[in-house]
Amino acid sequence: MEPGLLTTVQDLGRYGWASSGVPAAGALDEEALRLANRLVGNVESAAALEITFVGPVLRAAGDLDLAVAGGAFGPAPGKAFRVADGEIMSLASGPGATRAIAAVGGGIDVPLVLGSRSTCVSGRFGGFQGRRLQRGDFLSVLPASAAPLVDASADLRQPGDGDVVLRAFAGSDEAEFDAAALAAFWGTPWRILPESNRMGLRLSGPSLGLVETASRASEGTTRGTVQVTADGHPIVLLAERPTTGGYPKIAVVAAIDLDLLARTPPGRNVRFERIPVTEARRLVDAREARLRAFSGGRT
Amino acid sequence: MRPGATVWDNVPPPVKETGEYAWLLAFEGEEAEANEAARSAAAAIRTSGMAGLVDVVPAARTVLVLGSPELDASRLEAFEAAPRHAGPAFSPRRHEIRMTPDGADLDEIASRSGLSPDAFLEVFVQLDFTVGFLGFSTGFAYLYGLPKALHLPRRGTPRAAVPAGSVALAGPYVGIYPAPTPGGWNLLGRTARRLFDLRADPPFLFAPGDRVRFRL
Repeated sequence: MEPGLLTTVQDLGRYGWASSGVPAAGALDEEALRLANRLVGNVESAAALEITFVGPVLRAAGDLDLAVAGGAFGPAPGKAFRVADGEIMSLASGPGATRAIAAVGGGIDVPLVLGSRSTCVSGRFGGFQGRRLQRGDFLSVLPASAAPLVDASADLRQPGDGDVVLRAFAGSDEAEFDAAALAAFWGTPWRILPESNRMGLRLSGPSLGLVETASRASEGTTRGTVQVTADGHPIVLLAERPTTGGYPKIAVVAAIDLDLLARTPPGRNVRFERIPVTEARRLVDAREARLRAFSGGRT
Repeated sequence: MRPGATVWDNVPPPVKETGEYAWLLAFEGEEAEANEAARSAAAAIRTSGMAGLVDVVPAARTVLVLGSPELDASRLEAFEAAPRHAGPAFSPRRHEIRMTPDGADLDEIASRSGLSPDAFLEVFVQLDFTVGFLGFSTGFAYLYGLPKALHLPRRGTPRAAVPAGSVALAGPYVGIYPAPTPGGWNLLGRTARRLFDLRADPPFLFAPGDRVRFRL
């Protein structure tokens, strides 16, 4: 009924087409998507709604199961609940809510485009008609599994007070930055700018100096890569980043902390804490094990 | 290093990590040749049957390999060391792209190359291009094959909107904009050919390695 500020259909992203320039897209908060889907009995990769800052108001056509994870939106963040046919459900934002995933039992039924249901906002394809939801849109839902709702709670890390610490490891172009730039990058807080979007998070802080970019060759990009623009400002590449980019890469944010970053609003400060890539890998492997174990307490 | 050894005798540096399970293979040399090596390596990796591959992305002089935890990264170094011998035979498609030479920068492109617009276009349609890689936006193709004398810098101020189908020049590349996007390249003309149709099979007109010629 009300679309919210930026509500899009997302799944775990579109892979296998980056060599044709197709951005991965997908949920910014992958952990929230996977857990919200598990709560309503879906496979982790089912398509759900990504809601941002202002949540939507939905009217159920048929009895539905819903679960919101990643942020305080709606009546029961982190829990699965049932919505009866015709019921109006507001997923209004609670205090500190930035972004969340709202999963529906069965998953959102939009056409698969190149293997994914994710909306590519910049490319205007995928998801629901290639765009954010508008008032009056009717979303279909795939048949739900007969599994009962999971009686568990998805309590995901929230940014809390103070600077948000993002663990990161050295980027592939670290050698191109001088000692002062590296000290500034790893040592100072960075403010998340409001012009951030699903492609990248723009950060404000000391300039890391002018970077030679004119003659740099484009390289494939990864989620979490921190690249530095020609005027010396870092951008953290997110789900909808272009597939190739020519700016030097100073660091890579650990995957385990990218989900936390998705829950952190513009205006907040982040700090980078250096860890080895082996530690980042251990952390993400440990999280996989935790996610696999999250099914306990099925009623 | 032992006496008399050069740096090339050393074991190559390990493949760079650009994510927990992402690796970047780099190729040296003149860019179009490095790109050919990158394309060969990408094709070889994709057809290797290696477990845990998620995506393989050739670019100007690199290949990005996205994997899952079961991918054995130690196997990637071989593709970086010998990209040319690893892949199966690949037969590129050939495309002829009809272009209307009405780009806003045609006169400037020609005069910076020391030619009249007609003389520039006469040279341009004789050139053979190779699709080096796709990137920047969905279906945007970077073509190699422009002689050095025709390399031009990007425009100082990018345009807010470049029309879809624009054929444009920047540095060593000719590019084709599949959709209206902001862009800083020098606009030569436009083509009506669709570069992608997501409901078609295959959805993209160009693949890395394809050959392209333009005609008016």
